[in-house]
Amino acid sequence: MKKIGFGRAGVVVLCAVLLITVPAKAQRDYPVSARTLKNGMKVLVQPDHSIPNVALYIFYRIGSRNERPGTTGLSHFFEHMMFNGAKKYGPGELDKAMEAHGGANNAYTTRDVTVYQDWFPRSALSLIYDIEADRIRDLSFDPQKIKSEREVVASERRLSVDNENNGTLDEQLWATSFIAHPYHWPVVGWMSDIQHWTMEDLKHHFEMGYSPNNATMVVVGDVSADEIFQLCEKYIEPVPTHAPPPPVTTIEPEQLGERRILVHKPSELPLLMLAYHIPQMNSPDFYALNILRTILFQGESSRMYQRLVDKDQIALEVSSVVEPAFDPTIIEIIAQPKQGVDPQACEKAMYEELERAAGAAISDTELEKAKNIRLVEFYRQMRTINGRANTIGTYEVFFGDYNKLFDAAKNYSAVTKEDVQRAAKAYFGPNNRTVATLVPDNPQKAKQ
Amino acid sequence: MTRAWIARRLFAAALLAFFICPAASAQALRLPPHEKLVLKNGLTVLLLEKPGVPLIDIFAIVKAGAAGDPAGQEGLAAATAGLLRKGTKNRTAQQFAADLDYIGGTFEADAGADFTGISAEFLTKDLARGMDLFFDALAHPTFPQDEADKFLAQALDGVRAEKDDPRSVLVPYYYGYLYGIHPYGRPAGGDEVSLKQIGREAIAKFYEANYAPGNTILAVAGGLSSAEMRAKLEEVMGTWPARAAKSVAIPVAAPAKGRRLLLVDKPDSTQTYFAIGNTGIAVTDPDRVAIRVVNTVFGGRFTSELNEALRVESGYTYGVESFFDERKTAGPFAIFSFTKNETTTQAIDLALQVLAKLHKDGVTQAQLDSAKSYIKGQFPPEIETSKQLAQMIATHEFYGLGDDEVNQLEARVDGVTPEIARQVIQKHFPAENLVFVLIGNASAIAPAVKKYAADQDARPITEPGFWPPPAGAKK
Repeated sequence: MKKIGFGRAGVVVLCAVLLITVPAKAQRDYPVSARTLKNGMKVLVQPDHSIPNVALYIFYRIGSRNERPGTTGLSHFFEHMMFNGAKKYGPGELDKAMEAHGGANNAYTTRDVTVYQDWFPRSALSLIYDIEADRIRDLSFDPQKIKSEREVVASERRLSVDNENNGTLDEQLWATSFIAHPYHWPVVGWMSDIQHWTMEDLKHHFEMGYSPNNATMVVVGDVSADEIFQLCEKYIEPVPTHAPPPPVTTIEPEQLGERRILVHKPSELPLLMLAYHIPQMNSPDFYALNILRTILFQGESSRMYQRLVDKDQIALEVSSVVEPAFDPTIIEIIAQPKQGVDPQACEKAMYEELERAAGAAISDTELEKAKNIRLVEFYRQMRTINGRANTIGTYEVFFGDYNKLFDAAKNYSAVTKEDVQRAAKAYFGPNNRTVATLVPDNPQKAKQ
Repeated sequence: MTRAWIARRLFAAALLAFFICPAASAQALRLPPHEKLVLKNGLTVLLLEKPGVPLIDIFAIVKAGAAGDPAGQEGLAAATAGLLRKGTKNRTAQQFAADLDYIGGTFEADAGADFTGISAEFLTKDLARGMDLFFDALAHPTFPQDEADKFLAQALDGVRAEKDDPRSVLVPYYYGYLYGIHPYGRPAGGDEVSLKQIGREAIAKFYEANYAPGNTILAVAGGLSSAEMRAKLEEVMGTWPARAAKSVAIPVAAPAKGRRLLLVDKPDSTQTYFAIGNTGIAVTDPDRVAIRVVNTVFGGRFTSELNEALRVESGYTYGVESFFDERKTAGPFAIFSFTKNETTTQAIDLALQVLAKLHKDGVTQAQLDSAKSYIKGQFPPEIETSKQLAQMIATHEFYGLGDDEVNQLEARVDGVTPEIARQVIQKHFPAENLVFVLIGNASAIAPAVKKYAADQDARPITEPGFWPPPAGAKK
């Protein structure tokens, strides 16, 4: 039973990262039709009539990596503004129209992409296209809306970063791991930047990132490919194209030694996060790294759980996160130490496990287990129209071809024990590491 | 970072409701056919065929939840559930984990207020191994001493970790303050004091008293024929010996009278998290569909009255929602939100104005029409997977609800008129009698929030427990 309460932010969706393996027949089971519109937008359609609903995703290749100091968080703020009025559907009207026709929406922004999501009954299909075309083409910026939405985003930041230990430490970890590349700053933006964006900044962002040729649309559900292509021709194809964002040319210099930071904060428990630089998502090591992560972190039989939670009993949980990324990125390792445990004890245990993975090959059973887990994860993502739209789109955008989804089987089964060991050696050395520790700072207790 | 914060809750399935319904209209949306049988040992089995991805889902309900925890031992039902896989007749905890992970399976068990839910998922081809694992945990746990000690120590730190994120503990403080000593006020996961009162013996005793075939409902859904699933189930689950178990009776809580306010002090917080409400309804309340429609208008979606006021128009918050947590007897109703310290009273005042307006003006036909479309349009993805379906049919069986919860949903939603809406607002949405729980920086907000209730309580978040303060709560 999930405890009721506030929902988690959509960031979680991304953390369930694409660790997928696919049986050969998957391609038959999940056929995708593709077309590139005259204005450059690629459209992928996968019909599925099991429920009378549709999931529609639009991925824009723009995120916080396309920002500059002073306007950090602008992509995310812009994402909010995409719901606040265009030419035909004025402020508030988009949501009202969509919900009155049975639809719902959301969106998420990452360091790399901004993604818009619509979930609706098929009866709302043409309305959704009318709405999407309106805001891609004729978004408007009402000064009053900018003012109130700025407050909304500040509240979101207080909720998910400032008053949440994981959010606080995560932000510091990225900012320390990256000193040159724009992955340095947080997606939500620094609070002072949130308070200072201007209308001009928003207009510039729209011109830069929201060209149809910088976007991919994925439609999964109770539709036919032909009807979607026809709707696209009518509503989306007339939207004019322009130049996409300039390339991000900054390359993060190699890290030459361990970086350590402390965050002092009133807290019941400490918190520990590690980061190691790893390649971008479409690198050949993606598969071996995912197998390694599975063996180290997934399930109660994983090496890290067995060691830190079960045997040493120094942590409540251990996990890892890799977000889809265009540029070389980091793997984050998060340990929640128990009360009274020195986080360095967790560090030591984790380093030993990482060294063990680098020092000797994993077992055959572990390799088989990891491949089995990837297979079941694949089915979990493909069991809903929503999961499929997100997965197909993410593969298309980050690997450059949705068909890579169907090659994953081959790529995972090709991973050997030696590949896994090589990846452990290549990426988990101490010089490549950033360590962030949240230290409980409790004035009342200090007095006692 | 994401745009909207309103979350679709897991128990939404259980909220589906019925109403004295007009004649069924032609509609496509129906629960897939499923069958029910009772094994000789008393186990109720529900089988549902769901073609699609090759996954099998099991959801079992043991009819004893956190509301059955003895006072002072809150968290007992959850600890019992959590330990099922931590050592069985046939496997150590480590062997169980290795066998489960090897097939990519999942096994989760936790206690809600009314029942303990145990779920598992694995590939269809692993039916025999998966079923064997599930049954081993359900029917043959041994509760080894060292595993119990480990689990309880972790649960204790889990409560502490939750207190580092105020939004995740607003629920236990609010439920505790609303219900007091009534079972629905107890924190399902326990607290820093109660978890120290639980040991291996209490857990084994709770298991013996409640985990029995006749006290369990087991639903299986997936891409196999009922006959295949049935044969396997009878073979495996049929060997669970029958045993007496008594069901837990939950008294109906009286709604709170007047107004009272609990301020939980977290001095470093830059925003105030608040819950406002009173007791709500039972799962089986005849008004449940009408309430669902009205609550969609009031605080159950992005364009709700509450979200329009507190987020869209004023920017006070990233999100606000209202919900009825429907249970065996009257569960809680709440408005939940958060805002920066400086706008605490503005946001709460505005939420109260929206509630007053609901009582004064009711809902318009246009609002009703929109909410009806929204509920009907958003419902199909809630019964899309075998996992959702297994949980839904088991929950319906537990609460005595039928397939009409789904099959008649559209007709029942369509039957709600402005007049019916007016009646349910008067009857079920609190007006003057309100319970407030705030978590925030007391030194910044305490004077301003005095105006909400003459009757006020306060606790620092660092003191163990939620509400009422457990005996010996001072650190």
